Amino acid sequence: MPLDAIPVVAVPPGLRAGELSGNAPALLREIAEMVRRLLSEGETSAIDLQALPLTPADLEWLREQLGEGEIAVTLNADGESSLNETACPGVWWVTHRNPKGAVVSEFLEVAFVPELVKAHQDDVVIGLEHLELLISDLS
Amino acid sequence: MQGPLIETLARQGVTRRTFMKFCATLASAMALPPSAGRAMAEAMAAAPAASKRPSVIWLPFQECTGCTESITRSHSPTLEGLIFDVISLDYQETLMAAAGHQAEEALHAAMAANDGKYLLIVDGSIPLGLDGAYSCIAGKSNLETLKEVAKGAAAIVAMGSCAAYGGLPHANPNPTGAVSVSDIIKDKPIINIPGCPPIPTVITGVLAHFLTFGSLPELDKHGRPKAFYGETIHDRCYRRPFYDQGKFAKTFDDQGARNGWCLFELGCKGPVTYNACATVKWNGGTSWPVESGHGCLGCSEPDFWDAGGFYKALSMPADPLKLAAKAAVVGAAAGVAVSFVNRGKKSAAKSAHETTTLADLEK
Amino acid sequence: MNEIQLLTWVRGDGLDYAVGIFLLGVIWRLFEIYSLGRKKDLSASRSVAGASGWHTIFRRSLPPAGMVKKSPVSYIGGYTFHIGLAIVVFLFAPHILLIQSLTGLSWPGLPSQFIDLAAVVTMAAMVVVLADRINKPVKRYLSTFGDWFTWTVTFLPVLTGWMAVQHLLLPYTTMLALHILSVEVLLVVLPFTKLFHAFTLFGSRWYNGTVNGHKGVAV
Repeated sequence: MPLDAIPVVAVPPGLRAGELSGNAPALLREIAEMVRRLLSEGETSAIDLQALPLTPADLEWLREQLGEGEIAVTLNADGESSLNETACPGVWWVTHRNPKGAVVSEFLEVAFVPELVKAHQDDVVIGLEHLELLISDLS
Repeated sequence: MQGPLIETLARQGVTRRTFMKFCATLASAMALPPSAGRAMAEAMAAAPAASKRPSVIWLPFQECTGCTESITRSHSPTLEGLIFDVISLDYQETLMAAAGHQAEEALHAAMAANDGKYLLIVDGSIPLGLDGAYSCIAGKSNLETLKEVAKGAAAIVAMGSCAAYGGLPHANPNPTGAVSVSDIIKDKPIINIPGCPPIPTVITGVLAHFLTFGSLPELDKHGRPKAFYGETIHDRCYRRPFYDQGKFAKTFDDQGARNGWCLFELGCKGPVTYNACATVKWNGGTSWPVESGHGCLGCSEPDFWDAGGFYKALSMPADPLKLAAKAAVVGAAAGVAVSFVNRGKKSAAKSAHETTTLADLEK
Repeated sequence: MNEIQLLTWVRGDGLDYAVGIFLLGVIWRLFEIYSLGRKKDLSASRSVAGASGWHTIFRRSLPPAGMVKKSPVSYIGGYTFHIGLAIVVFLFAPHILLIQSLTGLSWPGLPSQFIDLAAVVTMAAMVVVLADRINKPVKRYLSTFGDWFTWTVTFLPVLTGWMAVQHLLLPYTTMLALHILSVEVLLVVLPFTKLFHAFTLFGSRWYNGTVNGHKGVAV
């Protein structure tokens, strides 16, 4: 039996998308404040979007307002994650997905570069060892 | 961020970024600020070397092993299981290879080596009837074992509704005299993780919190971590808008049920149940009871089994009314009797030619 | 006793006792009142248009000319809270479900936001009516313990129900149990206090209308 033969609609279309809750505009001000802190003190910060009472319509609105920037980073680590710069440099839209593609957490990160993108010192050391191994194989 | 955990993970092909992503998600699930994700990752990665991993003893009492099933299902393929790489699970009857005397030796060795420092996890209730004869391990009643092992524990986690509240064995008429851990142990910090079974993420989240911050998370009055049990199923339910609009499924197969309307009338206990199912979900975020079309049973609440029927709406009577018909008959009889008395008084007053006074009218 | 046990008790035994006492009291008092009877009026009946029991039942639901202006709080406040109570009690989906499970009768409910608004308006009207009763010397003089008591037992179910839905002060489970408990208190005292007017009002209006109609007076 194909799945679409089962006449079950979990939520009728139109309702789940819902209306704007009015919470999203306040977030813009908070993000602006976070960007100011980044500029003045170099302090990075993040907002957990799943912890806030935002409807899908709110998220859509926020995404539209913030726009798309020039950089889109894809991280393949136990499922795909995307770390996309918005049209406001320094504001990153971070979405973590599990291996099945479902969103497990979503953040707005305010940083020059998101923490996850930077390579860790120890990993770089391991990378260097690997490089040296490659070079030694050359000769 | 350096330490044996990261090295262990790297050997298993788990990268640093994967681990950080996991911690960020775990922090989000626990309603901790995003910065806590990084703190968690650092603390867990810096956990001491294998020989000094915190010892965990898991005691099964009057239980069905459902709680163990729940947490083992969280292992693969998700990362929750990796948390077990930072603890040393020294006694768990279902999972351990040892049996019989060897198992008991492992228990006592772990207790002696980590006295005052180990974390005790209990699943199942403790029967007190017949001097505890209903459930024994190695010739000792559960009550004896619990008292003995709890003495040296740093903290106790009561896993599942049986350990937290007495659960199904405690249900009326409670033939075994089952009680919860907190009914017996009064001098140790106890954290309740109720649910039948509890959500795997909640179990691992609490363990992660204990390992990261060295303390138990903030608890509510039933001893449950507020991060997961802070809000009702109903308040976080995606079907909530239908409740507010007054759109209800009347049976499990009507058009309302197909439209995914609210299950309140079919007995959903979501409004009085504090748990994280609606947000954390089950089976790796696949679904949860209400999303699958069945109302919440209220399994993370005390005495949910005796709370008036799973399929009766909360606003409906828990039991059929027994007194109503009798009360109506008694009322009618009383009314008739009183009216005869009144009529008697009236005719007596009439024949005695009594006059009506102002005081009579004010009666 | 934890809150789930309290809730189960008020939904079970508590409701059983309350409904039992309510039915017993209502039937008893109806029998008692209507079996009293009246002396037969032997005079010839005078027929005047608009003077009958049925006319009075209807007419007394409307304020007499000029009275709304003279005593706005009593009339407007009174109407508001009675209609509000009826909306909240009979058109909130969980309430309809209770009535259906007890009697088999059911009808469509209203969205919970609307019920919420009705509850707030009802409570506001009740508070205004109470304040008026305290402030006006005549009303205060006429008030007895019965008036203050019945106001309280009527107000509490609305307040606790609204607070439960709004998650105020106490966890929902506890508040819901208190809400049901307060309704049970109301059920128990209703047959034995002024609240019994819910059952007698139309009968007494009809009686007044008929007696006066016989004399040719439209009241």
